[in-house]
Amino acid sequence: MLKRQEAECRLKEIFGFDHFYDDQWSVIEKVFNKERVLVIQKTGFGKSLCYQFPATQFNGLTIVFSPLIALMRDQVTSLNNKGIAAQCINSNQTQEKNDAVIEQAKKGELKILYIAPERQGSVSWQEAVRQMKISMVVVDEAHCISQWGHDFRPDFRRIVDLVKILPVDIPVLAVTATATQRVQDDIQEQIGNGMSVIRGNLLRENLRLFVVKVKSENEKKIRIAEYLKNCEGSGLIYTGTRVNTAVYADWLNYVGIKAAMYNGSLEAETRVDIERGLQENRWKAIVSTNALGMGVDKPDIRFIIHTQMPQSPIHYYQEIGRAGRDGLPADIILFYNENRDDAGESFDEKLPLSFINNAKPKIPEYEAVVEALKNEPLGERGVMEKLNMKQTPVRTILADLVEQKIIFKNDGGKYEYKYDAPELKTESFEKLRLAKLEDLNAMIGYVNTTEPRMDYLRKYLGDKIDIPSSNCDNTNLKGFLDNSLHSDLWTNLKTFKNERFPELVPKKTSSLDIGYALDNYIQEAGEIGQILHHCKYENGGDFPDELVARMARMVQKKLSAQHFDMLLYVPPTISGDLVKNFAEKLTVRIGVPLSHDLKKMRLTEAQKIPQNAILKRSNVKDAFGFASPEILVGKNILLLDDIYDSGATMNEIAKMLKKNGAETVTPIVIAKTVGGDL
Amino acid sequence: MSELNELAYWMALAHAAVNTSVKNDVLIKCFKEKKSVVDFFSMSTQDWNSVFGMNLADVDALSRAKEQLANNAFAVENLLSQGFVLIPSTSPEFPQLLKDNLKKNGCPVLLYAKGNIGLLNQPSVAVVGARSASEISLDFTRKISSKLAKEGKVVVSGFAKGVDRVALDAAVSVEGKSVIVLPQGISTFASGFKQYYKQIIEGKVLVVSAYAPKVPWSTRLAMDRNRFIYGLASEIYVAESNEGGGTWSGVMNGLKRGCKIYVRKPDDGEKNANRILIEKGCSPISLGGENVIEYPIAVPQMQAVCEEKAVYNAEKKEPKKRKSRKKKEATLDLFEAEDNQT
Repeated sequence: MLKRQEAECRLKEIFGFDHFYDDQWSVIEKVFNKERVLVIQKTGFGKSLCYQFPATQFNGLTIVFSPLIALMRDQVTSLNNKGIAAQCINSNQTQEKNDAVIEQAKKGELKILYIAPERQGSVSWQEAVRQMKISMVVVDEAHCISQWGHDFRPDFRRIVDLVKILPVDIPVLAVTATATQRVQDDIQEQIGNGMSVIRGNLLRENLRLFVVKVKSENEKKIRIAEYLKNCEGSGLIYTGTRVNTAVYADWLNYVGIKAAMYNGSLEAETRVDIERGLQENRWKAIVSTNALGMGVDKPDIRFIIHTQMPQSPIHYYQEIGRAGRDGLPADIILFYNENRDDAGESFDEKLPLSFINNAKPKIPEYEAVVEALKNEPLGERGVMEKLNMKQTPVRTILADLVEQKIIFKNDGGKYEYKYDAPELKTESFEKLRLAKLEDLNAMIGYVNTTEPRMDYLRKYLGDKIDIPSSNCDNTNLKGFLDNSLHSDLWTNLKTFKNERFPELVPKKTSSLDIGYALDNYIQEAGEIGQILHHCKYENGGDFPDELVARMARMVQKKLSAQHFDMLLYVPPTISGDLVKNFAEKLTVRIGVPLSHDLKKMRLTEAQKIPQNAILKRSNVKDAFGFASPEILVGKNILLLDDIYDSGATMNEIAKMLKKNGAETVTPIVIAKTVGGDL
Repeated sequence: MSELNELAYWMALAHAAVNTSVKNDVLIKCFKEKKSVVDFFSMSTQDWNSVFGMNLADVDALSRAKEQLANNAFAVENLLSQGFVLIPSTSPEFPQLLKDNLKKNGCPVLLYAKGNIGLLNQPSVAVVGARSASEISLDFTRKISSKLAKEGKVVVSGFAKGVDRVALDAAVSVEGKSVIVLPQGISTFASGFKQYYKQIIEGKVLVVSAYAPKVPWSTRLAMDRNRFIYGLASEIYVAESNEGGGTWSGVMNGLKRGCKIYVRKPDDGEKNANRILIEKGCSPISLGGENVIEYPIAVPQMQAVCEEKAVYNAEKKEPKKRKSRKKKEATLDLFEAEDNQT
C-alpha cells in the first residue's frame, strides 16, 4: 500500500499541498485498505481531499453521490483546474452534455464523477453504469441518509441499499459536516458492514454568535436594517416563510440596502442568477428560505441572520456553517420575538411548531394513495390528479410508502403496489414528531442559554468540550449589537408598509398584463392577509372600506399612466358578493366604469378546492363568458379579485377577454400569495 | 432471500460464460466447505484452479465476471428498488422441483422474479403445446387449464402465443394461480407487468426469469426456456405437439426424467404428433365435460428411469432431515445427492 511519504509527494504534484492532516491521512489509509468510513468533520477540514486524492490513485472511476448541483459544479471546476479528470451529471446540464460525460466515464477517461442520488432511478444512467469500471463510491452530505438529521432525503434510501450490495473490495466513504450522535448511529446502522467513524470537533472559532430578543416583527425589520447599514461584507438572511423573503427584500431595498429574495418558488433560471450574484457580491444580502442551502460555497460570507428560529440546533448549525469559511470573523445573529399571543403561545415558536406538526399528511391520505395504487400504477402527477392532492404531501406519502416497502417505483417512473406489502406503520411518524419537538425545545434552549453559545451547539451535536469557547453575546461580546436599538427608520417602515404594492408578474405564457396586489398574503396580526382571511373564510362581512381606499391609492400610484375603459370583477364561487361589493365601492373612487357582464358559464369549485396547479387550470378552463363580447374590442380592462395564488382564474378570464378583442387585461388584487402559501 | 451483500456475486456467477455444471460444481464445493459465493470470488485464480480444478478458460470467464461485481451491485439495487426479487439456488425459496428435475447440468443458479414467489413451491402443472395449435387443442387447453387452476394447481406457462397464452389466461380468468416463465430478461417485460398488474399484486401471478435482466426476447431463449417450464411442473399436459419442435423435445426430456406426462388423445385424422407421444409412454387423456378421462398407457415407462429416480429419492432423505431442523439454512441437497452418485 501507498506509504504516507510517497502519497504526500503525489499530493504535492497533483494538488499542490505539502502534506495531509493526520486525520485526513487516517481516512485515506482506510480508503486504500478498502474499508467503509464515515467522516464527520466541520466545514473547512478538507473532507473532499479524503476521496479526491485516493480517486486520483485508483485505476477506475470514483462515483460521488451529492445532492447539491451547485457544489458539484464548483468541485468539478476546481478539480479540472488541477488537471484532474472530473465531471458531473445533473438536471441543470443539457442532455448532450450529460450524454458526453457518460461516454467519457464509460471509456475510462474520468477519475471522478459527481451525480445526484435520484439519478439512480434513471434508466439511461443504469444502462451506462453497467459499463463503467468503478473503484470507489462516495456519499457526500451523508446526514441526508438519516431522518433524524436536518435534511433527510428519501433519494438517499437507494444509496444506502447500493452500499449494502456493493462488493466488499469497493471502498465507501461517507462524509458530512453536521451529524449528532443519533444521526451518526443511524448512518452506521443503516450502512452496516463494519463502517468505522472518524469524527472531528465541530468548533467554529471565527463565528460570533448573537441572539437578539425583540418585541415585534417590525422591530426585527428595523434592527436588521440598522445592522446592515453598519456592517461589512455581504451575507444571508434566512426567513421562515417564502412570503417574508419578498417582504424583507423589498424593505431593505426601500431603505437603500441592496437585497435579493430567493426561494423555492422562483424559476431555476432566476435562482442560478441569484446564486451567481451572491458570488459576485451584487447584493449586500440575499433574503432566503432554507432553499438556498448547503450549495452555497462562498468563502467570505460575513453574516448570517435568522429572522425566525429554525426547527432545531442542528438546522441552525448547518445554516450558519456557511459563514466565514475563509476563517475570518463572521456575525451570526438570531432574532427572537418574545411576544406571546392571548393563549400564551410564543409568536416565534408557531412556525416551527406547525412545520413539525404538519410534516406528515393525515393517515387517511396515506390509505387513499395505497388504494389508488392497488388499482393501477400511477406517477406522482397521476396521484395528485386522481386524489386531488398537493404535490408536497403526495411526495411525502410516496416516499414513506416506498421506505416501508409498501410500494415501489418502476422503470417508467410509476409507483406500484407490492405483492404481500406490509401494513402502513405509523408509530414511527409519531416517534419522529416527538423527537422533533425535543429538537425545537433545544433550539429554544439556545435562545435562552447563558453559556457560551458555540459550546451549547457543540454539546447538542455530540462534541466533547475541552476548553469553553467565547465569541458570543454571553461572553466577550455582550451588548455588541445595542447600537441598533435606536433608529430613525420607524417612519420609513410605516410608509413602506403603506406604499408597498407587490407586483403580479404573470408567466410568459399568460394572457394577463402586469398588475399589482395591495399586499402579500401574510397571516400575522393586523396584516391585510389576515383581515382578508377573516372576511372570506370566517364570515367576517365585507372587506373593510379602508382596503378600498388603499386599492384606489394603489391604482393611482402604480397605474395612473394607463387609461382603463372598464372595471371587471371575478364572479364569485363561495365568498358570495364580497368582491362584487368591493368593486362597486372601488369604481366610485377610481372613476373607471364598472361592468357586471363577466359571467361564469358553468359551475366551478372554489379554486381553494383543487389542490394543485393542474387541477386548478382544468377547474376554470372555459368557465367564463362575457354578456356582450362585441364591446370588448380594443378595450383596456382592469380585472379585480381578492387573492392571487396560482393566477389560473384571472389568466383564464384574460384569455377569454383577449380572444374577444380586449387590448389589455390588468389584474389588481387585495393579496398575493408567494409560492402557493394559501 | 440471501444476504444483500451476496447478490452481486450471485449475479456474477449466474451470468459467467461457463457451463451450468461448472457453476453448480462451485456451489456444491462452497456449500460443503461452508463458504459463500463472496468467499469464492475473493479467492485467487490459482485457488480456483487448484481447489476447484477449473480449466483456464473457465478461470478466465469467471475473472471477467468478477470484474463486473460493482456493476452488478448497481443492477441489483435497481432491480430491488423496482420490486423484483432475486432467488439464489441455495435459498429456501428456490423451487426444489427445478433442482430435482434439471439437476447439476441444467439447474439455473439464480432466478429473477416479481410477484408471489411462494407459488414456486406449490403443486404445479404445465399445459404445453405448439404456438400454432389447432382450435381443438386450444379449447382443450382452455378447459384443462381452468379445471386444474380451480383445483388449486399453479399453472406454469411460457407466455408464448397459442397454447401458452391460452393456458395462462384460462387460469387467470378463474382466479387461479400462474407462473410465467420468461424467455427474456425480467426488466424487458414492462408491458406484461402492466397487463397482469392486479393478478401480480394479488399474488395470483408470478413472473420468473433465469436470464440476465436486460436480455431481450429471442427464439433461442424461447427454445431454451422450455426446460424451465417442464422443470417447474410436477405434471405436464400436452395439448398438441409436432414431431421435433420445442414441445416435443421438452416432453422427451420429461419422459427421460420419469415425469408424469398427459397427452390429449387426438381425434382420427389430426395432423400432429400426439399419437406418437402416447406410443412413447405418455398417458392419453381426453375431456368428458368436466372430467378427465385417462386411458391406459400404451407402453410401460423405461425401467432405467424408474430406478434412477428411486436411487435419487433414497439419497435425498438424509439431507432433507437437516433442512427441516434448520429451515432457513441454504438448501443444496439435490446437488449433493447427484454429486454422491458420480
